[in-house]
Amino acid sequence: MPPHPCESCHTSRAQILRPSTGTRLCAPCFTLAFETETAATITSSSLFHPGERIAIGASGGKDSTVLASVLQTLNTRYSWGLQLVLLSIDEGIAGYRDHSLEAVKRNAEVLGLPLKILGYEELYGWSMDAVVAQVGRKGNCTYCGVFRRQALDRGAAVLGVAHVVTGHNADDVAETVVMNLLRGDLARLGRGTSLVTGTGGGAEGGFASVKRSKPLMWAYEKEIVMYAHHKRLDYFSTECIYSPEAFRGSARTLIKNLERIRPESILDVVRSGIDMARLVPGAGGEGGSGSQRVEAIPRDAEDDTGGGCSGGNGEDAGGEMARVEETLRLDERAEEEGTETEIRLPAKATNGQRHDRDVAHTGPAATALPPLVNGQNHDRHTHTPDIATVPIRTKQEKKSGRKTASDAPPSKQRLGQCERCGYLSSQAVCKACMLLEGLNKARPRTGIKVGGAGG
Amino acid sequence: MAGPPKTRRDNVAVDNSLCRRCQTNAPTITVRTEPLCSACFNKYVSTKIVKRMESFRVRHAEVGQERLLLLPLSLRACSIVLLHILSQHLRVQGEKSGRTGYRLHVLYVEDGKGEASEASKLYELIQHRYPEHTYSTRPLSDALALPGMQELLIQNQPAATIPLDLSTILTTLTSATSRTDLHHHLLRKLVLHSAQSHTCSAILWASSTTRLAERTLAETAKGRAFALPAQTRDGEAQLGTGTAFYYPMRDLLRKEVLSYTSLVSPDLEELILDERPRPAVSTRDTSIDELMRQYFSSVEREYPSIVANVVRTTGKLLVERVEEGWLEGRCELCDVGLRGRAPERSRLCFGCIRVLQTREAGG
Repeated sequence: MPPHPCESCHTSRAQILRPSTGTRLCAPCFTLAFETETAATITSSSLFHPGERIAIGASGGKDSTVLASVLQTLNTRYSWGLQLVLLSIDEGIAGYRDHSLEAVKRNAEVLGLPLKILGYEELYGWSMDAVVAQVGRKGNCTYCGVFRRQALDRGAAVLGVAHVVTGHNADDVAETVVMNLLRGDLARLGRGTSLVTGTGGGAEGGFASVKRSKPLMWAYEKEIVMYAHHKRLDYFSTECIYSPEAFRGSARTLIKNLERIRPESILDVVRSGIDMARLVPGAGGEGGSGSQRVEAIPRDAEDDTGGGCSGGNGEDAGGEMARVEETLRLDERAEEEGTETEIRLPAKATNGQRHDRDVAHTGPAATALPPLVNGQNHDRHTHTPDIATVPIRTKQEKKSGRKTASDAPPSKQRLGQCERCGYLSSQAVCKACMLLEGLNKARPRTGIKVGGAGG
Repeated sequence: MAGPPKTRRDNVAVDNSLCRRCQTNAPTITVRTEPLCSACFNKYVSTKIVKRMESFRVRHAEVGQERLLLLPLSLRACSIVLLHILSQHLRVQGEKSGRTGYRLHVLYVEDGKGEASEASKLYELIQHRYPEHTYSTRPLSDALALPGMQELLIQNQPAATIPLDLSTILTTLTSATSRTDLHHHLLRKLVLHSAQSHTCSAILWASSTTRLAERTLAETAKGRAFALPAQTRDGEAQLGTGTAFYYPMRDLLRKEVLSYTSLVSPDLEELILDERPRPAVSTRDTSIDELMRQYFSSVEREYPSIVANVVRTTGKLLVERVEEGWLEGRCELCDVGLRGRAPERSRLCFGCIRVLQTREAGG
């Protein structure tokens, strides 16, 4: 088998088979193609404006390292005049960030870029090690994910920067599409594939208005690794010691198997995600390709998972899926009982039929439903004896049931601002402030607990 | 005297060693955490399907004016179960009021995948067991004779001899995914054409929730998610054809359907074409559809509501808006809108272009 010549320069030997296109290239042509495609993503969507200050979320991992290198290269090559700064967040987990932050420092020197490292301790008053000491390993991912979600934005505000770029790649976005389908999360289906998210209101708005973008959104993870290898980039790989995977683990496995079958499928999943986003009820903006249209879209926790941690929903593997399964099953049960109520009237004519149906209806409800729903169930039982004599009440119940069922599905997150810190939130007070309040209230007990342990 | 007995019944604690619904028989099977006996399980399955049918407005009609519905028969569990339950449903309708709301025409498409003689035998058994319906068969290769298909497929056949035959076409495709995909689209086109030629107003697809979830992720992985809302919901899937697509089994998991085939009496197992367990093959020879089938078989076991939720989520997406000149703007193989999803002046979308790549082109 004679070696293939590079399909681009036809001179050198092809060393790389690109998974995204199936073409065979030599190393220099590959790195040039990778850079050119990233530049095309940036310019076709007018991602940056000349002279803009950009913070690169730098974790020390391969994605952000490649992103920093590519942006520096393109900034020089095309004279974009961008002011690039590296921004790193230190979660305060001993043994986790130390080496990767060292890698970031080395990269800052090599690339000649300023670097700002901010810790959770500085931003929130709590390092993750302190949080774990306080709340235990179980559930700590919720804190880390929620804090992480805001940390880059808070850090950008500290630097006076209004635009943060992250190293999310096509594999990450594809995983997010699959996860949101499995969760049935329509809102995130509408947001997860956007190249740009955030209100972009300018630096005056503080960290609540920081713009976020993903210049490597169309780049394969494998190609990012190849690029890092051929450019001899210095990066560190690690996974959070506290965080097993959940939905994301299931989605990731599926995406990797898909890639093995047909590498192009990763981009196909991303394109499908963009198409589905346009089909989500209430999603604005007709016309134009999703990747071309730059629009301010609210951001989600999932956008922050590029660094290897799972999102704010971290749980033991399968735990999250089990919880979603339980929630869905109870919803189905409630909806089915609503339906049962409607059928009861026609069945009234035959005692036997009604009897059977009542048994089916009451059996699972009596033991399976949680207390609140059980209360509702009790109300329904109260009505049952009167069904023959008070038909109007039955109609009201039926109507009420139907309304509840129809209201539930289209419930949307209405985003406003946290009344304490101003961050985007669907609640009056955002999650981070709620969690901080809980941590701070519990803080005085630390001494007592230590004393107790001693005793 | 309905009140007192009901009240007493409602307050009795549930005995989990008995069937959850009748509290009389021992449980035979657990359905989404509920232990059920055979009789209640069978009722559960048939109720799911009959309720869906009634939402299609197929209640009583004047004699001779019943809607004719096409039921594509694959000789696999889902279509057999659908045929069985609808046959019962029609019988009950007839007994109660002397009239039925619809009639069935059963279509068996021979795809040459399994043993032909075994399939023929089963097909005759089925006709014998459910003689009240009309039946017809067509070979899948008839799809090649549909308008436009020859020109469409011949483009990718450099050394083609006309007319093309199905096995040649499938052999030259580059991957298992392409073969599965083309097979699916040819089948869909042939079934739709048959429904129209028999003047059926709708097609009853025997797709379980699990199957619909698999298709959701498979089409997502092939870059065709924009077509999902139209492809998985009840209604006119292809504007202008006048033929509705209905999925009466969308509320049942595949494992529930499989259990039904052995628990119903007399059982249906003798009617089902034996699907030999697939040997473990390399990833290269696996199709995207098969990957999704394996994936959801495992999700179905532990998280059945998540499977159902995937289908419900897709059902909430809006159907792509009809554009001006929609007839000219559709992919000729999968019928999705071409705007933004195809090269200029192409008659195929990106997804189907990839499907129809032949070995030479792909290599």
